[in-house]
Amino acid sequence: MIQESIVEAFNLLMSFDEEIYQIIFLSLTLALLATLTALVFGVFFGILISSTTFKGKRFVKKLIFTFMGIPPVVLGLFVLLLTIGPLDPVFNLFTVQVMFFAQFLLVLPIITGNIIISSEKTQKEVLETAETLGASRMDKVKLLIVETKPFILMSMILGFSRAISEVGAVMLVGGNIRYSTRTMTTYIARSNSMGDYSKSIAMGIILLILAFVIHSILARFRGDFYD
Amino acid sequence: MINLNNVNIVFSDVVIKYKDFTFKKGEITFISGPNGSGKTTLLKAIANIIDHKGEIDRNGFVTFVSQKPILFSKTIYQNIIYPLEIRKLDISNYENRIEKYVKLFELDKILHKKAKSCSSGEQMKASILRGIIFEPDVLLLDEPTTALDIKSIEELTKLLNEIKKDMTIIISSHDRLFIEELNDVLYELGDPYV
Ligand SMILES: Nc1ncnc2c1ncn2[C@@H]1O[C@H](COP(=O)(O)OP(=O)(O)OP(=O)(O)O)[C@@H](O)[C@H]1O
Ligand SMILES: [Mg+2]
Repeated sequence: MIQESIVEAFNLLMSFDEEIYQIIFLSLTLALLATLTALVFGVFFGILISSTTFKGKRFVKKLIFTFMGIPPVVLGLFVLLLTIGPLDPVFNLFTVQVMFFAQFLLVLPIITGNIIISSEKTQKEVLETAETLGASRMDKVKLLIVETKPFILMSMILGFSRAISEVGAVMLVGGNIRYSTRTMTTYIARSNSMGDYSKSIAMGIILLILAFVIHSILARFRGDFYD
Repeated sequence: MINLNNVNIVFSDVVIKYKDFTFKKGEITFISGPNGSGKTTLLKAIANIIDHKGEIDRNGFVTFVSQKPILFSKTIYQNIIYPLEIRKLDISNYENRIEKYVKLFELDKILHKKAKSCSSGEQMKASILRGIIFEPDVLLLDEPTTALDIKSIEELTKLLNEIKKDMTIIISSHDRLFIEELNDVLYELGDPYV
């Protein structure tokens, strides 16, 4: 079975079937764009939350940590309700745009939460030290970004992994429409439910290989990020 | 000059009360006392990075060099010049001084190494230099000698004697020799758990 699937995966790729490449392309760009956008907001919120004190901070943190583990299908449902509700003028259901939005929301708490967890203690010390050296607010923000750098890559990896591997959210809001909103994971889910196991395993293998390649590329940057 | 007036600091399980110490400009004052007697806490209060009750009169800029060096994710050199950089001072005016201090502490070979990969003694020396390079009015050193070798302690002693006339220097230490060499005034703290 596995052997068959490996052959099938190879055939899938080598068939140069445009559909397959479209699916792969959509999955990758979607996950990458969602992660990068979430990174911008997540790093900002993460640094903001961990370096300031305000009322309700503990609650906000608990909320973020809860959303780090939200099942994608639940988040998808939530975005679906938003899309047919208040966000109706902004997004249409079963479009790439709303899939991007759902994945963005999925990844955002992961990045924010990881930045908070990993940098909270160092930030306190760094801020105190900067303070006694005469740093202004702006100087402190710059320092925090420098000190947070090692954690940024790590949270990006976690966020991307989440986005590329999830089915629930893209399935619910994207609808798994052929030639349009079908991703690698929804393709796998569909082939599977149609009994076409070797196709779904084949796509699964491609997904794993791609993830491996991307993480290898990211790992090359680690040297720059870690002191 | 620094004056304490009825300063006490409340933690969950202990209240540390301090006598009304004064610290004068041009003098080096040592704070001594057993572990947990409140030396670090007092210095942090003077540096205004910890909440306290009572009054602390401070004149001028206070800098605090912590017991455990906290260097930024930059090179040793970038750490040392950080206070100059954020004040937008012209580094070239300080180059001679930096070079002299760096030689003194034998940091020249690791000057462009990432600070966090340096030894704790090296980090401590960089942290001390970062604290004095911009000539703050008040310099607080928390157990500066614990990680230093004998030669570095000697150099630090000389250096502090050289710069003390325009500064208020307060040092916490257990190091009897170091204290004897430098102290103008010595305050002993007792056990706060009474
Ligand atoms: N954040 C804190 N929360 C609770 N208690 C604290 C805190 N910081 C200090 N203490 C307590 O206050 C007392 C004084 O601590 P401090 O660090 O000032 O001692 P120290 O004289 O510097 O000791 P050492 O010689 O070990 O450096 C200790 O009993 C310590 O347990
Ligand atoms: Mg101490």
